[in-house]
Amino acid sequence: MSLIATGLDFLPEILLLAGALLVFLMDAVGIRRIEVVGSIAVGAILFAMLLVFADLGFAPVAFLATIPRSQIDIVPAVGSTPLYWFTSLGLFFQVFFLIAAFLVALASMSRPSRERGAAVFYGMILLATLGMMLVAVASDLIFLLIAIEVVSIPSYLLVAYTRRDARSMEAAMKFFIVGALSTVLSFFGASFLYGAYGTTNLFVLASGSAISNGAFGGGGFPLLVVIGYCLLIAGLAFKITLVPFHAWAVDVYDGAPDDVSAFLAGGTKKIGLFAFFLVFLGPVLLVRGTVEFQWFGGIGAVALGPVLQVVLSILAVVTMTVGNVLALMQKSMKRMLAYSSISQAGYMFIGIAIGTAPALTGASLQVFAHVFMKTGAFLVVAAAAGLGVGPLIADWRGMGQRHPWLSVAFALMLLSLAGVPLTIGFLSKFVLFSAAIEAQGYFVWLAVAGLLNSALSVFYYGRVLKVMYFDAPERGPVIPTSTEASVPSPGAPNGRGAVSAIGLGAGGIGYARATTIALIAIVIVALGVYPGPLLQPLAAAAQHFVNLAF
Amino acid sequence: MTTLSIDGFIGLSIALLAISIFGILTRRNFILLLISVEIGMNAAILNFLFFAAFPNRSPFFDGLQGQSIAIVLVGLAATEVAVGLAIVLALNRLKGTINVAEASSLRE
Repeated sequence: MSLIATGLDFLPEILLLAGALLVFLMDAVGIRRIEVVGSIAVGAILFAMLLVFADLGFAPVAFLATIPRSQIDIVPAVGSTPLYWFTSLGLFFQVFFLIAAFLVALASMSRPSRERGAAVFYGMILLATLGMMLVAVASDLIFLLIAIEVVSIPSYLLVAYTRRDARSMEAAMKFFIVGALSTVLSFFGASFLYGAYGTTNLFVLASGSAISNGAFGGGGFPLLVVIGYCLLIAGLAFKITLVPFHAWAVDVYDGAPDDVSAFLAGGTKKIGLFAFFLVFLGPVLLVRGTVEFQWFGGIGAVALGPVLQVVLSILAVVTMTVGNVLALMQKSMKRMLAYSSISQAGYMFIGIAIGTAPALTGASLQVFAHVFMKTGAFLVVAAAAGLGVGPLIADWRGMGQRHPWLSVAFALMLLSLAGVPLTIGFLSKFVLFSAAIEAQGYFVWLAVAGLLNSALSVFYYGRVLKVMYFDAPERGPVIPTSTEASVPSPGAPNGRGAVSAIGLGAGGIGYARATTIALIAIVIVALGVYPGPLLQPLAAAAQHFVNLAF
Repeated sequence: MTTLSIDGFIGLSIALLAISIFGILTRRNFILLLISVEIGMNAAILNFLFFAAFPNRSPFFDGLQGQSIAIVLVGLAATEVAVGLAIVLALNRLKGTINVAEASSLRE
């Protein structure tokens, strides 16, 4: 008897939904302690992760699989237009999303146990994770866009959940406006594609066959396709913070509560990348195929693929460069991390522009690395805020002496973000850039741009390291260290101060948060030194994905 | 007998989209901004309905699909606006204003 017999392909997603409903139910009956609510969320996420691992075929848990192996990585029959499909790459992304949710949910359990809104926080995390997992299995444009909405709507509420904080309310407002604009653009683009192809199925969109049949009038109507794809690129680019559409991200990550910033930057942002995988790998891969479409009544034939590849390559280079240059100029730690997150999205985008199996592997690895590095970095910032460190980079003076363990973990994350060898950030960039060089042509310049940008990014990551380890705290009132903070201070501004005042575990940042940060630091180094167990299955999954001949 | 071309209908929805984007970019009142968002969503919904109603020579074409997408999108738009209104309410309680321009503390 295995779980496959139940036919519940979406059992992990159902678990997350059940967890969210349970959390809301408990809030309704008055059980609001963050330890209880958080445990339910962490449990649901872990169990879902176990099931996805089983679906991926990991031997120790394979008996828990809910999807038959024969249904994974299979091209649907010609003429069928399924709403969802299971690929190993999609399942890997589900794992990445679940990891991001797990890290944030675990770390947040260190917040004061009587804090308001624990149910909202954990419920929304679970619902957003549910949406992210649906994005990873979509094979229909509308299914995909609605799954993205299932992520976006809880994210707006996550940013706003404190309700009393003017900064986070302002961030929520900006997030909502930009998110709504992006939704409008993507759905409008999707409607044009529906008009041009007669369906919203991604396989049909990818094959391009519908266009040559001519949706309207004689000779096709490529204008619909061109406008549709442009609007769709714009709409999805908001989600993944590509550069002309990035401005919201910095304000939102800056203003949102720290743990929510970690979830947004480390988790929900990646759905945009996978959406681009699904929507654009089809047309991009067709470069190697033969499909072309009529351009205005047969004046000529234009292949969609190369045009898209040039557009996506330009977006990638512009995004990483602008992100890095602006990150250089930041004084606030969270804003610096936000800009660095934008530039990292540019690196990931190299993989989409190239569209070969190694490039996909690199992009997926970059996503995996970014989940750990960026979530970790924001969680460290949250921990430091709990210890009374200010929001500016300059406030981190002397952290190396005051909080050696936290500083070591943060330094590891920054080095990994910069791409220093023996960290996972180096590995992902190495795979990505070598794939770009392998792909020949102008893609080599993508690798060059990426390398130059990595060098540039070392400046601002290195500056933080210098501030932490070589600048002594010199002026201003002494910032309380963890030992001083164990004296109860009545003037503690909010819950965070109270935590350190009680001296709750692991130097005042809470056991759960300390464990999470340590876990992230260990993974960054362990997989950087010994990447085999991750790299090989991921490369195989990417190869399968490309072979599916979207 | 002349058949009606779809171009005029697409023109209508493009005009609605333009109004919506203009509204989102220029309105300072959050409620008007929400209305602009709604206009944009409705432009997309109308588009699905237009494309579903007119003949389409694609072998995969199914008019019912466009109509059902339209129904789903109506619900989605309502959800989004509900969340938007919740944010407006909280913002109004906090700051006593729903003017977007007055919320500008997040600068460097």
